[in-house]
Amino acid sequence: MSDPSAATPEGASVIHDLGYRPYTGARRGPGAIARALVVTGFRNAFGLGRSGKSKVLPFILLALNLLPAIVVGGILVFAGLEELPTGYAEYAGNTQVLLGIFVASQAPVLFSRDLRHGTISLYLARPLRSSTYALARWASLLGATLVFLVLPIVILYAVSLLAELDVSEQTRQATVALGLAGLLALCLAGVAGLIASWSTRRGFAVVATIAVLLIADGIVSAVQVIAQEEGRSQVGEIAGLFSPYSLYRGLVGAWTDAETATPPTSTGMELAYLGMLLLISAACLALLVRRYRRVATA
Amino acid sequence: MTPVVRVEGLTKDYGSVLALDSLTLEIGGGTTGLVGANGAGKSTLLKILLGLIPPTGGRAEVLGHDIDTQGEAVRAAVGYLPEHDCLPPDVSASDFVVHLAMMSGLPRVAARERAAEVLRHVGLAEERYRPMGGYSTGMKQKAKLAQALAHDPRLVLLDEPTNGLDPAARDEMLGLVRRIGHDFGIAVIVTSHLLGELERVSDNVVVLDGGRLLRASRTDEFLNATGVLLVEVLGDDAQARMTAALTSAGVAAAARGGMITVDAADREVDVHDLIRDTASDLGLGLVRLQVDHRRIEDVFADADTQEVSDV
Repeated sequence: MSDPSAATPEGASVIHDLGYRPYTGARRGPGAIARALVVTGFRNAFGLGRSGKSKVLPFILLALNLLPAIVVGGILVFAGLEELPTGYAEYAGNTQVLLGIFVASQAPVLFSRDLRHGTISLYLARPLRSSTYALARWASLLGATLVFLVLPIVILYAVSLLAELDVSEQTRQATVALGLAGLLALCLAGVAGLIASWSTRRGFAVVATIAVLLIADGIVSAVQVIAQEEGRSQVGEIAGLFSPYSLYRGLVGAWTDAETATPPTSTGMELAYLGMLLLISAACLALLVRRYRRVATA
Repeated sequence: MTPVVRVEGLTKDYGSVLALDSLTLEIGGGTTGLVGANGAGKSTLLKILLGLIPPTGGRAEVLGHDIDTQGEAVRAAVGYLPEHDCLPPDVSASDFVVHLAMMSGLPRVAARERAAEVLRHVGLAEERYRPMGGYSTGMKQKAKLAQALAHDPRLVLLDEPTNGLDPAARDEMLGLVRRIGHDFGIAVIVTSHLLGELERVSDNVVVLDGGRLLRASRTDEFLNATGVLLVEVLGDDAQARMTAALTSAGVAAAARGGMITVDAADREVDVHDLIRDTASDLGLGLVRLQVDHRRIEDVFADADTQEVSDV
């Protein structure tokens, strides 16, 4: 590299007005553009590439979310326990409030912002189709949610290996937890994304998402506990179908050793839980794509 | 020159409103002004050209790409400056233009270079690193223009680029629009409801009215169609004497305000010389001798009266 300050023999730098220069380099296709959008969206979800204060909330939530895993890991190693005090899959259930707040507060960053400020019309005037745009935004949110869900599992798994617990058993449990985390992330990203795409006001989207995720789960949990007390677990099992978190909890109860109120007991019910989780995810995604088609042609 | 935009029988029926009524027109290179009252179909036309909304009927080609089947190729080669606000307040112009250049398919490194370059061209200096929420309207319009140019498009669609600008910023923006069309070699379609602006920057003017083409021609044809000269003379009873002398020389002359209009169209003798000699013979001071520039507004006035007489 030449020294820019030596642009002239005298060593003084000179600014040349080269006029307008056309761009003759590479132009990439929609696949590469969509990937770039997903990466940018993923960074934006954690406040990266945005103002300083927009990093505060996501990173505080992430730190709070990881704190129990680190504490549990410390206890496990120092106290020399025989098994993890909390299961991999149960972990997300314990921190579901943090997870809900994270998804509710960061989905508007990806969805409401472009609609609110009209930036969407600049995206739509570029090669990406509105449906690809919607899918890319959703993928960013899915990625961010997965980071939130998967990091604690990775930490707990690493700690369990350090503490020399049974590797095959831990691997099996961690794998099941990863699968469940994937299902929950699909569903949360769909629900939060859809709500945020319908609201140009960030505050409204946050409140509505928290209401749908946490309040619905609160109601379902109450029904499930009462059903169990009353000895009518059938009612609790059916109630569990009606909120993303209770679906997740039901599958955790069915597929792991964790104790949960009225988990699905029959194979049919397990499939219904799984099907419902996937159905919510798919329906939200389809509505999201449709929503952006509408925006594009408005 | 191959047309930049070719539209054939384009119709857009929103049900309640017929936004475009079998519009047929061709737009060439250079700068084209798109004129029309609110609701004349300007924005609808731009959106259809971008492939954002499908037309009800007819077809259109942009830069040789059919909008129906090759919308992606059209959007890759076209830059768009929307009329409304479209800038996120918490992002700097620099980051924003880089991102949107990448959204047009440029690799990251190239996007950075292009962003720096176009921001320099539109005149955003140090402020490009500040969040755009704190920008003045003029700076916002520049940032919007920069993103439209970021991917080196072959055509830019500018929807009311001078909206809300103060006179100085307006002049600067018009200067930029002219440079894009003339120096950058990018075809420009610019809409405005202020006709005086388009007169200054555009080579061609397309007039839309109620979704139909009212007129499309070169700007100078609009302006020079009168063939009338304006003459101003100084002296005792100068105007009356001059008018009488010109009329007796066989030239149609009439007083208009403090000046004399002389019909110079279709004459074999050079009327300029005649006017000079007449003034000199009468001993009058010839203060002004200029072509009577019409304004685009006059064309509208003509069209209105024509429409009234049609009815």
